[in-house]
Amino acid sequence: METAHTDKNFEQKLNHLTDNLIKMSNIVEKQIEIAVNVIKSKDSSDAQTTQNLDEQVDEVERDVRDLSFEIMTLHRPVASDLRLVFTALKVSKELERMGDHSRNLAKRAISISSSFDEDLTDQMHNLGKGVQKMVNQTLESFFKKDEVQARISWNQDAEIDRQYKSLLSDLIERMHNKETSVVDEGTKPILIAKSLERIGDHATNIAEEVIFNITGHYIDLKKTDFE
Amino acid sequence: MVDQNSNYALQTSEVYVHYGKKMAINNVALNFPKNEVTSLIGPSGCGKSTFLRCLNRMNDVIDICNVKGKFLLNGNVDIYSPDIQVETLREKVGMVFQKPNPFPKTIYENVAYGPKIHGIASSQNELDEIVKDSLHRAGLYEEVKDRMDDIATGLSGGQQQRLCIARAIAIRPEIILMDEPCSALDPIATAKIEDLINELKENYTIIIVTHSMSQASRVSSKTAFFHLGNLVEYGETGKIFTKPDKEQTNDYITGRFG
Repeated sequence: METAHTDKNFEQKLNHLTDNLIKMSNIVEKQIEIAVNVIKSKDSSDAQTTQNLDEQVDEVERDVRDLSFEIMTLHRPVASDLRLVFTALKVSKELERMGDHSRNLAKRAISISSSFDEDLTDQMHNLGKGVQKMVNQTLESFFKKDEVQARISWNQDAEIDRQYKSLLSDLIERMHNKETSVVDEGTKPILIAKSLERIGDHATNIAEEVIFNITGHYIDLKKTDFE
Repeated sequence: MVDQNSNYALQTSEVYVHYGKKMAINNVALNFPKNEVTSLIGPSGCGKSTFLRCLNRMNDVIDICNVKGKFLLNGNVDIYSPDIQVETLREKVGMVFQKPNPFPKTIYENVAYGPKIHGIASSQNELDEIVKDSLHRAGLYEEVKDRMDDIATGLSGGQQQRLCIARAIAIRPEIILMDEPCSALDPIATAKIEDLINELKENYTIIIVTHSMSQASRVSSKTAFFHLGNLVEYGETGKIFTKPDKEQTNDYITGRFG
């Protein structure tokens, strides 16, 4: 447990920064959960909810940016405080991008016909569930300052990528075979899968920031022990 | 153990200092790399100034102060050896204090005093050159060249402190100790002194005690954190201010003490 700051004003601002990140994370987790469900439900009001939530995410991101700037200007943070502010700025940017992808994929999902191939829909949904789990665990590792969990989350991206490539080759193969229900939807399923894969990438970036926040070092991407 | 073949200007180990029965420094070992700036930081009463004052035997004048330990200059000169004259030591290890303390003499005489008493200059011309060169190195020459015979106490605080630095370097020391040299100065005068420290490290080893975290991070390449007479952590300044190893260091530099 970290000792409290002598400067209470500074302490309050740092707590407020963390509170904003928790708020932003909760919204983005909700956004992803809804968007992944929309892949199957094709519920347009849920898709609209992801759009509404995205506006909230953007607003909190601006708050994080402004507060970080204020803390750096007025309090000159160092050591663990500096790492927190630096991480907050980067994590909020990743969360904002995740929110955009969730909104986009939900919007595309409702435009896909209900007669679209069930197996491919299941594959997209499963990919979404995997991404959702990875995001939840990564964000939990951030707030619990759990380096081990962050490393586990970081490693999960390889499985997400594998599922994404498998889904992609399946889609392309069925297009080659001129399966009507797949061809009619054009690139929409590919873009949905790509959005999910990108959300996984952003979660990986957050895991790297979590490790930096805890250790002061970025993980070496070439090291095999993360593979 | 002190490493004999090192690039350290000064090496210390097993340092204990007591004021009467009160312990001020508890088994500290710290080495100072040549031509680098090392900051000593820590809360008031942590022993950083006491430790600094050991390095040119300033504590000798305090009767109740008892200093023990190994202090080696350039790897082989024991500065507490009975063979070492304190005046000779202070030729090698100069000091600049918290409050500028020019002599109540002219600007010229302030700088010329040290070289004169240490017999560094063999002629008036040489002495003039040393004074001019020292003022140049201290970044003060241009400001005072036309009033060298004015009384030094008429200079501004920042100019007086740079004069004290010129006075310290006039005797050609190897090490300059600075005890909170900017605490009485405004931000512009502070910036000039910090800029000067950066230039001086080309030729000197500098050890600075400072209460300003930002000053320590700006001017030094190494930082040592003291607390309750103990050396808690020593390392690269960049590391100390981003990810110190010890939680106690993190708590102090982020303002979580107390």
